[in-house]
Amino acid sequence: MSSLDINGAETTPVVSATGGADTSAMSFNDATNQANADGAAFKRRLGFGFWVAATWLGIVFAAAVLAPWLPFKDPNVNNIVSGQRPPYAPSGTHLFGTDQDARDMLSRTVFGARVSLTVGLVAIGMGMLFGGFMGIVAGYFRGWWDRVISFIFIIFLSFPALVLAILITALLERSLRTISITLGILAIAPVGRVARATTISFADREFVLAARTLGAKNGRIIVKELLPNVLIPMSALALLGMAVAIVAEGGLAFLGLSVEKGPTWGKVILTGAGSRDLQKAPWIAIIPIIVLFLTVLALNYAGDRIRTYFDARETGL
Amino acid sequence: MRYWLQRLGVAVALLLAVSALTFGAMNLLGDPLFNILGPTSASTLPEDLKIIEAAKAEYNLDDPLPVRYVKWGSAFITGDFGVQFSSDGQPPVSDLIKERLPRTVMLLIIAQTMAVLIAIPWALFAASRANKAVDKVSTFTSFLFIAIPNFGLAVILKYLFSLKFSIFPLIFNAADPFWSRVWQLFLPAMALALPVSAIYQRLLRTDLITTLQEDYILTARSKGVSKRNVLFKHALRPSLFSFVTIFGINTGALLGGSLIVEQIFIIPGLGSAIVEAILREDFPVVLAIVMIVTAAFVVINILVDLLYSLIDPRVRSA
Repeated sequence: MSSLDINGAETTPVVSATGGADTSAMSFNDATNQANADGAAFKRRLGFGFWVAATWLGIVFAAAVLAPWLPFKDPNVNNIVSGQRPPYAPSGTHLFGTDQDARDMLSRTVFGARVSLTVGLVAIGMGMLFGGFMGIVAGYFRGWWDRVISFIFIIFLSFPALVLAILITALLERSLRTISITLGILAIAPVGRVARATTISFADREFVLAARTLGAKNGRIIVKELLPNVLIPMSALALLGMAVAIVAEGGLAFLGLSVEKGPTWGKVILTGAGSRDLQKAPWIAIIPIIVLFLTVLALNYAGDRIRTYFDARETGL
Repeated sequence: MRYWLQRLGVAVALLLAVSALTFGAMNLLGDPLFNILGPTSASTLPEDLKIIEAAKAEYNLDDPLPVRYVKWGSAFITGDFGVQFSSDGQPPVSDLIKERLPRTVMLLIIAQTMAVLIAIPWALFAASRANKAVDKVSTFTSFLFIAIPNFGLAVILKYLFSLKFSIFPLIFNAADPFWSRVWQLFLPAMALALPVSAIYQRLLRTDLITTLQEDYILTARSKGVSKRNVLFKHALRPSLFSFVTIFGINTGALLGGSLIVEQIFIIPGLGSAIVEAILREDFPVVLAIVMIVTAAFVVINILVDLLYSLIDPRVRSA
C-alpha cells in the first residue's frame, strides 16, 4: 500500500494558503500543502515506492553509462537472418525484438538512454547552475537585481518553449550539444523562479542575520548559509525537470529535430510509430515507450517524495 | 491599469524580439536564394544571372536585412505573410496558414473540452471521498497519467483503438463533413487530454477539499442540503479559481503538444506545416507559424490573468 501513499500519512486535508501562486509546480503541490498541515504527525520516511523508483533509475543509469562495456549488441548493426524479413519479434536473441533494419531494439533502447539521459542531465544542470545563480542573486539582493532578473524570467516563461527548441534545432546542426544546451536554456527560468522564491523565504531568517552580525560578507552568506537551504527544494525540482527534458527530446524527435547521430529514445519510438510498422511490429515503438514512461514516472515520483520529505522537516521547525 | 499596460508592453516587446530574432537568424544562417532557385542560385551564366536578378527582386532579397525585416513586419501585421520559398511561391503563406490553422485549433478545443469533462467529475468523485482508498487509487492513477508523454500515449492509442480494434478511423480527411472530422480527431485529442486532465484533477481535488472545510459548507449540510447538492452547487464554483489559471497555461503547452500529436496521426495542421517547412528551409512559413504560436501563447496568458482578476475581486485590488 505504501507505493500508493503519494500524499503521505496525513488524515486531515488542509487549507492551501498559496492559492495559485506557483503554477509551474501546481500539479505536484497538493502533497506539500497537506504535509504542511500536520507536520507533527507526519512520519519522516521516503517510503517503499521511492526505493522502487530509485532502483529503476539506478538500473537505467547504470545500463546507459556502462553500455559500451556490457554485452549488448551493436545498436547500428543489421542482424539479418537469411531467408527471414525483419523486423523480428522479441525472442531469446533479441529480448526487445528488432526494428525494420534488424537492429537490436534492446541495445538501441540502452544506447538511446545514453543520449536521452545526457540531454536531461545537461539541461537541468544548466538550469540549476544559471537559473539557481540568477535566482539566488535576485532573491538575496532584491532591488534592481531582482527587477532585471525577474523580467528576464518573465520573458522566457511567456515564450512557448517548443518554439524556441524548434527554432534553434532547425537553424543549427542537430548535435547532442545543441539540443542539450537548447533545453538547458529553457530550464533556466523555471528553476530560477523557484530558487528566487526559496531564497527570499530564507534571506530574512535569524541564521542569516546571525551570520551577518558575525561579520560574514554577502558571498559567504550566499554560499554557506543560503545555498544549502535552496539546494534541497532545487534537487526535487531537478528530478522533475530532468523528466521534462527527456520528454522534450522525444517530442523534438517526432518533429524530425532530435540528435542526428545514433539512437535516442524519441527516435527509437519514432522508427516504430508509423501505422504499418505499428500494426506489424508493435514492439518497436511500444517497448521503448514503456521504458521512457517508467523512467519519467520514477523521476516524478522520486522528486515528489524528496520534496514532501524535506517540507515535513521544515514544518517541524 | 498600470499593470495591464505593462503586461501589454511586455507582450509587444516579446513579439518584436521573437520576430526580429527569428527573421535575422533565418536569413543569416540559411541561403534563401538557394531555397528558391536550387543550384541555379550559384550559377554565373548570363541567362541564369537574369533569373537570379528577377528572383532577388521578387523576394526583396536585395535590400539590407533591417529594411527587409520592416517590409516583412508591416506586411505581416496586415495579414500578408509573404510568399513561400519555392520556385513558384504558391500558395501564399497566408493561404497555407488559413488552411492548416483551423485543424490545429479544432484539435485543441476538443482536447481541452475532453480534459475538463474528465477532470471535473473525477475531482468531485475523489474530493468527496478524500483520503479513502478510492481516492488514493485515483491519486495514484493521476500520477501515472501525468507521467505519460503525449507522443507515447498517442502511439499507444493509435495502436489499440485504430489498428488492433478498429474503433476509430486511422486517417484524417479534410474533405469529410464536420462531425466525421471531429470523430477522426477523437484519438489525437484524447492523447493530449488525458495527461492534462490528470493535472486538472489534482489541482481541483485539492481546492475542492479546501472548500469543503469551509463553514458555509457545514451550514448547508446542517440545514439538510444533500451531499450531492453541496458538492455540485456549493463547493464546485468557488473551487474553480486556480483551475482557470492552469487551464490557460496548459492551453499554451497543449499547442506545442498538438504539433507533435498531429505528426503521429498525420493531421495536416500547423505541426506538419512547420516540419515540412523546416525540411525545405522555407523561412516565411516557419516564421509565420512561430509568430502565430508565440502570439497565441502571449494572448492566452494575458487573457488568463484578465479572467482571473474578473472572477476573483481580491486579485483585482492587489
